Amino acid sequence: MAATGKVLVVFALCMFSIVANGDMCLGPQVTSQTYTTPEAIVSTETVFIVEFSVACKNGLKNINLYAEFGGKTVPASKIGEPNGNKFQLSLSDEHKKLPSGNYQVRVFDEEGYAWLRKAQRSGENLDNIKPLFTLDLSHSGVWSGPVLQSEFVAAMTAIFVWWSAYTAKSRLQQ
Amino acid sequence: MAGGNKNKLSREEELLLQDFSRNVSTKSSALFYGNALIVSAIPIWLFWRIHQMDLYQSAIIFVIGTIISTYLVAMAYKNTKFILKHKVAVKREDAVAQEVMRKLSDDKKMTKKEKDERILWKKNEVADYEATTFSIFYNNALYLVLLIVVSFYILKSFNPAVNYVASVGASAGLLALLSTGQN
Repeated sequence: MAATGKVLVVFALCMFSIVANGDMCLGPQVTSQTYTTPEAIVSTETVFIVEFSVACKNGLKNINLYAEFGGKTVPASKIGEPNGNKFQLSLSDEHKKLPSGNYQVRVFDEEGYAWLRKAQRSGENLDNIKPLFTLDLSHSGVWSGPVLQSEFVAAMTAIFVWWSAYTAKSRLQQ
Repeated sequence: MAGGNKNKLSREEELLLQDFSRNVSTKSSALFYGNALIVSAIPIWLFWRIHQMDLYQSAIIFVIGTIISTYLVAMAYKNTKFILKHKVAVKREDAVAQEVMRKLSDDKKMTKKEKDERILWKKNEVADYEATTFSIFYNNALYLVLLIVVSFYILKSFNPAVNYVASVGASAGLLALLSTGQN
């Protein structure tokens, strides 16, 4: 019986480590690419798109990740191959609320996300929860088009030329 | 003057009439139509490159629009020239007379009448040239203002083909209409 008990304990310990490793992504290596809206003429909102792939030291695949940005949480969508650990995040807000500068997106795994939800529910400070990793993105601001439209400049030039012609004509006709 | 010469105009009278005539010489008519054609063709570039109309698909509209516009713009040139010519003649009269007199001062043989005729002819020529060129300049400037304002602001939301027909028609029509006024 004692032997059976020991075997069970060892088995349970082994299982525990597998479960623990199965949930946690250890030492994540992140490579990311970002896109931020460059101009405001044809876009109503500023959008940040981050594409990143995660490689865990323990070779964990098929994980679910969530991002927290400016107090809002969004799930990261999986893209590419089914077990490729490639994700995409899109975040958007009004142009005014996302001026140029550096931003940090905090990414959580399922456990961290659960803590985050809990903290959100109880109104605690979200900054205290440690993310799996953070993504840095720099936004160079939106360009809202030239101050003067080219047709306005053309119209003003044409009006000026006509006005000078008109005054010259009036002087001739006096 | 007796009998047979009654209906014949003297050279001086002819010159005076020419001063007030609405007729234009073939040379200035060619100048007017040539200029009007160039100015009327400018909107084609605008609608082709800026409003993204297809040059070949819209060729018929472009050709018809340009022809009508050329006719109306040339009409405006003629009307403006007619209004301006006499005014210019009056303005330049003294200067022209002075210059002609200086040139002819050595010529003792020439009679006073001949000299007057020469002055009248020169005055007519100067006024004709100045009125022609100024009329072309003034009408071109006004045509382009009307075209830009109408096509970019008033008919901004219309489809390019409608915009072309309406803006070229309205600009050329308005130009011809404004040129018929006396001031």
